[in-house]
Amino acid sequence: MASKKTAQKTLRLAPVLDLNEATALHEKLLALKGSAVAIDASAVERIGALCVQVLIAGARNWEEQQLSFTFAKVSDAFVKTTQLIGVDIDPLMAKEI
Amino acid sequence: MDMNEIKEIFFQECEEQLAELESGLLKLNDGDRDPETVNAVFRAVHSIKGGAGAFGLDDLVSFAHVFETTLDCVRSNRLEPNQDVLKVMLKSADVLADLTNAARDGGSVDQARSRQLIKELEALANGELPQAAAAEPAFKAAAAAVAAPPVNEEGFQPVAFSFEDFEADEPAVIEAPCYEIVFRPKSELYAKGNDATLLLRDLSRLGEMSIHCDMDGIPPLDRMNPEAAYFSWKISLKTDKGEEAIRSVFEFAEWDCDLDIALAGGGAVDASEDPPMQPVPFDLSMLDEASAGSAEEEEQFASRDRDAAVSAAETASNVLQMAQSSTRAPAEAQRNTTAAANAAAQQAASAATPTIRVDLDRVDRLINLVGELVINQAMLSQSVIENDTNGTSSINMGLEELQQLTREIQDSVMAIRAQPVKPVFQRMSRIVREIADMTGKSVRLVTEGENTEVDKTVIDKLAEPLTHMIRNAVDHGLETPEKRLAAGKSAEGTVRLTAKHRSGRIVIELADDGAGINREKVRQKAIDNDLIAADANLSDEEVDNLIFHAGFSTADKISDISGRGVGMDVVKRSIQALGGRINISSKPGQGSVFTMSLPLTLAVLDGMVVTVANQTLVVPLTAIVETLQPEAAAIHSFGASQRLISIRNSFCPLVDVGRILNFRATQANPVEGVALLVESEGGGQRALMVDAIQGQRQVVIKSLEANYTHVPGIAAATILGDGRVALILDVDAIVAASRGQTLKPEMSLAAAG
Repeated sequence: MASKKTAQKTLRLAPVLDLNEATALHEKLLALKGSAVAIDASAVERIGALCVQVLIAGARNWEEQQLSFTFAKVSDAFVKTTQLIGVDIDPLMAKEI
Repeated sequence: MDMNEIKEIFFQECEEQLAELESGLLKLNDGDRDPETVNAVFRAVHSIKGGAGAFGLDDLVSFAHVFETTLDCVRSNRLEPNQDVLKVMLKSADVLADLTNAARDGGSVDQARSRQLIKELEALANGELPQAAAAEPAFKAAAAAVAAPPVNEEGFQPVAFSFEDFEADEPAVIEAPCYEIVFRPKSELYAKGNDATLLLRDLSRLGEMSIHCDMDGIPPLDRMNPEAAYFSWKISLKTDKGEEAIRSVFEFAEWDCDLDIALAGGGAVDASEDPPMQPVPFDLSMLDEASAGSAEEEEQFASRDRDAAVSAAETASNVLQMAQSSTRAPAEAQRNTTAAANAAAQQAASAATPTIRVDLDRVDRLINLVGELVINQAMLSQSVIENDTNGTSSINMGLEELQQLTREIQDSVMAIRAQPVKPVFQRMSRIVREIADMTGKSVRLVTEGENTEVDKTVIDKLAEPLTHMIRNAVDHGLETPEKRLAAGKSAEGTVRLTAKHRSGRIVIELADDGAGINREKVRQKAIDNDLIAADANLSDEEVDNLIFHAGFSTADKISDISGRGVGMDVVKRSIQALGGRINISSKPGQGSVFTMSLPLTLAVLDGMVVTVANQTLVVPLTAIVETLQPEAAAIHSFGASQRLISIRNSFCPLVDVGRILNFRATQANPVEGVALLVESEGGGQRALMVDAIQGQRQVVIKSLEANYTHVPGIAAATILGDGRVALILDVDAIVAASRGQTLKPEMSLAAAG
């Protein structure tokens, strides 16, 4: 899966991902560049479209780098919001091994 | 923040919206059919209605509602915005302004007028001809032709507001309940604390919704702006609640997104190209809990504030860092800060230029302090220079930088006060309309250079004289339509109001294409009123200028509008009080042009400090064309006491400033002095002779009138670095005096600029 030998890192998302969080999330993702990432969205209570945009942009970036970018854990709110706004995160869900 | 403060902000915003409304309507009046213009107009009325509703201002709401409904017809192309429709709309805008003012300051409005307009607006919304047009002069009615409202060819229902008469159209909506919605939020939507997810959630509650999110717009992660909008959505929604319900979901976001709503099968969205949609489950209870209610909103605001504070702190620390690093390389510091400032300015410009409202008093206090700072800095450098013979010391270098900094601070502070003249000009268009109605003339006001910026004090004081002059221009200047036609002009008169910057001053021109000044009549009147002797020999220009005398009016009968003879002299005095000048030029049969020239600011000026007969004077730099050292061969005597100087093969009168101002009894020897070639407002060049030039510096204007009294030939005073008072020369008064006219107090009112 990963072409480089890098340890998988976990990014735990904040409970409220609104306008203010988008920039922070963007920076956090940029800081993780170059290693496989598992997103822990289990604490998410609310997520806005801006943060979804950042996550999707991140997913694409990781895909280009051929590194894994997965949602390890997701909360109900996270799943429902992404469904509501028509963003399909299923391909990015961590598969049970 | 209590309710009154919020209300005050609402009224301030109303003013902006009303200005927007009026400029939009005027654009439409000029034939602009850009949908964005119509939208801007609609938006303005809509915002006022929304705000008024929140404060329970029922009169305002009901009028705005009717207005809005009619505008919506224009927006949806059901009503052609021709001249007659716009006439009603412009009047409605005036009434809306009156209602807003009445709601703010109390007082009442002309109920009959607003009722009449409501009727006219409703008639327009129903596709009828404007009733008022028939009552107006005949040539207007002839032009009246309202296009029949187009039928909903594509099954498209564009009306967003329920209006009784439209109810017949509603069933069409109900029969085809599947809507295709294209929703493209703009970045502002998020910036205002709204979120696409919330809108989509509300939308999903209306019925069965399938959604496709278009993610193609997302740039690579490292190049994206996390706060910009990249997603857009295509939604198909089955609902029986109608398009209105859908629009109401987007009500508060309407202006921050692109929104297309069309019935499925309608023309707007091509179904075959639709990407696969994801059905949205209905169980949204989780989301509701997480995000409903006002508590959430408050929280959002709170966190936004926090964020702002954090980023402000970051900026501050950046600046600090920069400052620290720059102590070692002071020369670079300047560049760094400017670069940073430029970058910040650019950023500000790109981010939809956020603004803040500041109490004017605070700005004035700041300006005052900066003025003192400039004076103090000048004093400091003066005393350093006096006590330090070695001119290259580090203190001197530091002082030079300080000077640059104070200069920049001053420029920036003055820029805070600079405002475009647009609001004043817009007020004028209303005055033109009202006077035109009263006098039964047809007038068109053309404005140019509305974005010319000038100090706020100047703007505030400009409105009154301009109003007087506009009234005069329409009432006296322009002829009646019949006379105009007889004279071979178009029935509609034109009043042109222009503003432009010219050599550090703002020049405002008011031109009409009327009959011009009747010089015979003016002359006769002046003789009757003992203003001039019966046998006085006056040039055309002098006759024209007679109208600025107190108690002068050429109108035969006194009307409500003007003609009491208190007009033009008041105008002249207000303009002069602003340190400006007013000129008139008139051509019989072709109209008159009033030209006002005003200083951009009343606070500072760039001046050349000169010595005349041991006195220190300041000559405004904007007036000076060049300086030269006269040679004996270039000086020619002319007449008894006049002298000319030849400059590059042309002759120019040489004026001894010291003699004109009575600083000395005899004329000085030109070869020992310096000549300043100046250009006066009238256009003529003069060489002003002074004894020596001390230097060039920015001076803070201190009014001489306020602190002492008028001094002929002197515009104002200033405090120099050594603490002494220096007088600022009124170049135009000096030039006029050199023409043989004596320095009368009346002439020297004009200040430097």
